[in-house]
Amino acid sequence: MTEALSAAVALFLDPGRLLMMLLGVGVGLVVGILPGMGGIVTVAILLPFITRLDPFASLAMITGALAVVHTSDTITSVLIGAPGSAASVPTVLEGYPMARQGQAARALSAAYLSSLIGGLIGALGLTLSIPIARPLVLSFGSPELFMLTALGVSFAGSLLGKEPRKGLTAGLLGLLLGAVGPSPAAAEVRFAFNQVYLTDGLDLAIVALGAFGVTEVVGLLAQGGAVAQRTDLGRGWAQGLRDVIQHRWLVLRGSLIGMWAGVLPALGATAGTLMAYGHVVTSSRDRSRFGKGDIRGIIAPEAANNAVEAGDLVPTLLFSVPGSAPTAMILGALLAYGIVPGPRIVTEHLDLIYTIVWSFAAANFIGAAFMFAASPLLARLTYVSFNRLAPGIILAMVLAAFQEKQHYGDLLTLLALGILGYVMKASGWPRAPLLIGFVLAGPLERYYWLTINLYLHPADWLIRPGVIVIGLLLIAPFVAGAIKAIRYPTAPEVSPAERPPRRVAPFSLFLLGVFAYAWWTARTFLPGAELMPLSVAIGGTLLCAVQIVQEMRGRGGPIAAEGGTEEEAPSGEVVRRAAGYLAGLAGYIVSVWLVGIRLASGLWVLGFLLLVARQRWPAALLYAAAAVAGLELLSGILGVRLPRGELLTLLR
Amino acid sequence: MRQTRFTQGALGLLLAGLLLAGLLAAVALPGHAQQAYYAGKTIEILIPFGPGGGTDIEARFLAPFFEKHIAGNPKIIIRNMPGGGSILGANWYAQNAKPDGLQMLATSGSTVIPFILGVSRVAYEFSKWKLVKVNGVGGVVYVSPRTGITKPEDLLKPATPLVYGGIGATALDLTTLLLFEVLGMDVRSVLGFEGRGPARLAFERGETNIDYQTTPAYLTQVIPLVKEGKAVPIMSMGFINERGVMVRDPASPDLPTAYEVYQILHKRKPDGLLRWKAYQTLVSAGFSYQKAFWVPTGTPPEALTALNESIDRMNRDVQFKVQSKQILEGYTILRGDQTEAAVLRSMRVTLDVKKFITDLLQQKYNVRL
Repeated sequence: MTEALSAAVALFLDPGRLLMMLLGVGVGLVVGILPGMGGIVTVAILLPFITRLDPFASLAMITGALAVVHTSDTITSVLIGAPGSAASVPTVLEGYPMARQGQAARALSAAYLSSLIGGLIGALGLTLSIPIARPLVLSFGSPELFMLTALGVSFAGSLLGKEPRKGLTAGLLGLLLGAVGPSPAAAEVRFAFNQVYLTDGLDLAIVALGAFGVTEVVGLLAQGGAVAQRTDLGRGWAQGLRDVIQHRWLVLRGSLIGMWAGVLPALGATAGTLMAYGHVVTSSRDRSRFGKGDIRGIIAPEAANNAVEAGDLVPTLLFSVPGSAPTAMILGALLAYGIVPGPRIVTEHLDLIYTIVWSFAAANFIGAAFMFAASPLLARLTYVSFNRLAPGIILAMVLAAFQEKQHYGDLLTLLALGILGYVMKASGWPRAPLLIGFVLAGPLERYYWLTINLYLHPADWLIRPGVIVIGLLLIAPFVAGAIKAIRYPTAPEVSPAERPPRRVAPFSLFLLGVFAYAWWTARTFLPGAELMPLSVAIGGTLLCAVQIVQEMRGRGGPIAAEGGTEEEAPSGEVVRRAAGYLAGLAGYIVSVWLVGIRLASGLWVLGFLLLVARQRWPAALLYAAAAVAGLELLSGILGVRLPRGELLTLLR
Repeated sequence: MRQTRFTQGALGLLLAGLLLAGLLAAVALPGHAQQAYYAGKTIEILIPFGPGGGTDIEARFLAPFFEKHIAGNPKIIIRNMPGGGSILGANWYAQNAKPDGLQMLATSGSTVIPFILGVSRVAYEFSKWKLVKVNGVGGVVYVSPRTGITKPEDLLKPATPLVYGGIGATALDLTTLLLFEVLGMDVRSVLGFEGRGPARLAFERGETNIDYQTTPAYLTQVIPLVKEGKAVPIMSMGFINERGVMVRDPASPDLPTAYEVYQILHKRKPDGLLRWKAYQTLVSAGFSYQKAFWVPTGTPPEALTALNESIDRMNRDVQFKVQSKQILEGYTILRGDQTEAAVLRSMRVTLDVKKFITDLLQQKYNVRL
C-alpha cells in the first residue's frame, strides 16, 4: 500500500496532469458559482476531454473539478441567497442572513476553511477505508439504510422552527412532493396528472432553486437596496477562521456524516449535507440563532458537502455502484480506459485510486485558497444595489432549471416552487424540513418497502444490531427533550401584543386542500405504492386542520421562524411588492413559451433594468445584450438547445 | 513512460491539427474532390436519459470516434433530455427531428419495451426511423451457494426459497421475471431496487439469493465472488443473432442459455410456446439489440452512407478496439443498414404475445399499462 502511495505521488506530480487538474479545478469553481449547477454539469463539461488524455490526467481533472464544486457554490449561497447547488441549501439558510448583517466575509471564510478540512478528512478517510470499505459497506443492509433515512427525516424535526406543527407539516409537504412520480414499490406513477414530464418526479435542483433561490431573490427585490444591510464588513475574515477553530469537533462530525452519506449509495450529497445541518441543530444547546445566521450552521454542512464527494467514490470504485450522477460519469470515464471498478481495483489499480485521492486533496487546497483570494472582491457584490444584479441571477437560475430536462415544465416547476417558497417564508413556515422531506422521500419509501419484503418477519430486521443502534440515535434527542421539559418546565410566554389576529391564513387552507386532495387520490393507488403518500397525506390533512382551528382561535402562532433578524415578518407593503415581482417572473416564463427564451430574456432584462432598476437606455441595452450572449454561450457549453417560442413556430 | 504517452498525445493532437488543416485546405481548393456531406456540420445526439446512465456514457464515449470516422469530420454534441423513462425524449424526437441527419436519437431497451407493450404515452414509432448502429449485451443468472443449486437441474428444487431483487416489473427486469416464468421456477421477486448495482449489493449481503447482471458486470463484479465461493453461475439469458435465433452469449460462451436450460428441465424444446416467444422478444429488445442510434426516415442517402460507413471504420480502428472493450462490453457495434430489418422484426410482436405479457404483468405484478 505504501508503495502504491508513493508511486501515486510521482504519477500525480507529473506537470501535464497537474495542469489538467488545475483546469478541472477552474471549471469546478466556475460551475459551482453558477446557481443551481453542481457536479453533474461540471463532469458533463469535462467529459469530452477524457478520451484525449491518459487516464491519470483525466481522472485528476475530473476529481479536481468535483472536489471544489461545493467550495465555490458557497459564494452564491451566501451572497445572493440562491443555492449554488442543492447541497448548499443549509449555507443559504445560515450564510445568507449573515451576509445581510454585513458578515459575509466571516461566513465565507468559515465556509472555505470547513470545506477544506471536510475535503481533506474525506480524502484521508478514502485512503484509509479502501482496504476495509467492502465489508463495511456490505454490513449496511436494507433495514439499516431505512433506519438511516428515518434518522435523517427525524433531524428535520430539529429544524422545525418555533412552531413544530408548521415545521412538521412542511416536512410532510416535502415527502409528498418527493412522492410525485414512479413508486419504488409498484408500477404506479403518482400525482403525474397525465403529464409525461411528471412521470419521473420533480427534480431536486429545481426544487431547491425555486424554494430558496427564487424566494430569496424576490424577497430581496421587494425590500429594495443591497444584500448587506450593514457595512461593517472589515474584520470578518479572521473571525470566520477563529469560528472554525473554536468549533473544530463540529467540523469533524460534519465531515464524518458527509463521508458516510457518500459511502452509502442510498443517500447522496444533499441528504448528507442536510443531515449534518440537522445534526448540528439537534446537538446544540442554544438554538435561538439558527436560521438567523448561526456560524455553526455553516461549518458542519460545508465540511459535510466536500467530504460527501470523497465518500461517494468508495462505492463507485469498490462496487461499481455510483452514488450520484457525477460519480456515474467518472465510472464511465474509467471504463473508457479499460479500468473496471470493482473488487479487483484494489489489487490492480491502487496507484490510480491514490492519484484520485491526491488530486482530491490537492484540489481542495487550491480551490479554498483561490476562493479566499477572490472573495473580498466577490463580497463587494453585497453592496451593489440588488436591482442591478437580479436580472443576471434570475437568468442564470432559469437556465440552470431548464438544462435539467430541457422541458417547459422545468420553468413552471421553478416558478411554482418559487411562489410556494415565498409564501412559506412570508407566513413563517420553515422551508428546511420541506427540502429534507423531499430529498429523503425516495430512499425512505424504497428501503422501507424493501425491508418489509426482504425480511418477512418484523423480528428478523428489528433486532439487527445496526437497526437498534440507529434506533437509539433516533429517539435520543426526543428522550433528552422530554427529560428537559419535565425537569425545567417553562410556561409559554406570549404577550398579548404578539398574539396574532383571529384569522385563517389562506395558505393554511391551501395546504389543507393539497393534503386532502392527495389523500383522496392516493386511496386508489396500487398496494405498496399508496403506503407512503397515503400516510403522509392523512398526517398532513390532520395537522392542517389543527392549524386552521388554532388560527380561528387566534393561536396561529408567532410569525417568522427563519429568515434573518432584521426581517422577522415582511410588512404587507413588502409582500405586495414581492407578489408584483413574482407576477413579473411569471410573465417572463409565459413569454419564454410564446416567443422563445432568447427574445423573452432580452426583453425582460431590458424592461427590468429600465422600469425597476431605473437604468439609462445605453447601459440597459448593453446589459441585456451581454445577458443574452452569456445565455447563448452557457447553453452552448452545456448542450442545451434554447427553445423557439410557440408563437414564432405558429407564424412560421 | 506515462509522461511520454502524454507527450505523444500532445504530438498526436498537433499532428491531427496539421492533418485537419491540410484536409480543410484540400476541401477549400476549387475543383477538388466533392465535399463530404458532414463537412463543417454538427451532429447532435439526443439522449433521452439523464447524464451518467449507460446510454449516456456509451454515447459520450462514441462521440469522438464518430467525429473521427464520419466522412467530413462533423462535430458531435450530446444533449440529454430525460423523462418518463426515455419516453419524453423519444416523443420529442419523433415530433421535432428533421430528416437532415444532423440529429440522432439514442435508445435503449427502456425505450423499446414500452413501445412493444403499447404503452399509451408512447408517441414514437421505430419504423419511421432509420437505424444507424446497434449493439447489445448479454445477461447471466447466478445464485447463492446457500440455495444448494449448483447446476441448471437444481433450479426447480432449491434448498431455500429463492428471492430475487429487481427494479420494477415494467423495467428491463421484465425479462428476468419472464425467464423464471418460462422455466417454471418458484421465485419470490422483491421489486423496488434503484438499479442492478444496488440489487447486486443486496445479493452480496445475503438479502436475496438469485440475481442477474449484464454479462460485463458479471465478468468484473461477480466472477470474483464466484472464485470466493459466494456465487454460483447458472445460465446466460441467451443472445439473439441476426437470424432471430438464440445462441450462446459471446461474452460468456461457457454458460448454457435459457433455451438449453429449458430443454434440460423440461426435456423438450420451448419453440412455439407463447411464453417462450414473449421471452425471446424481450431478450432481443432489451439485451441483444439494446443500444441503438436512429435518424428519421427521409435522411439524405449520402448522410446515411457516411454514418453507416463510419461504423466499419470505427471497428477497424485499433484505438477504438482497445478503448471500447469495457464500454461496449465485449459486443460488436453493428452497422444500421445491415441490421435494421432484424431489429425492426424483433420489435414486431404478435397480439397473443403482447396479451400474454400484459396479462402476466396484470395478474402477477399488478401492473396496469
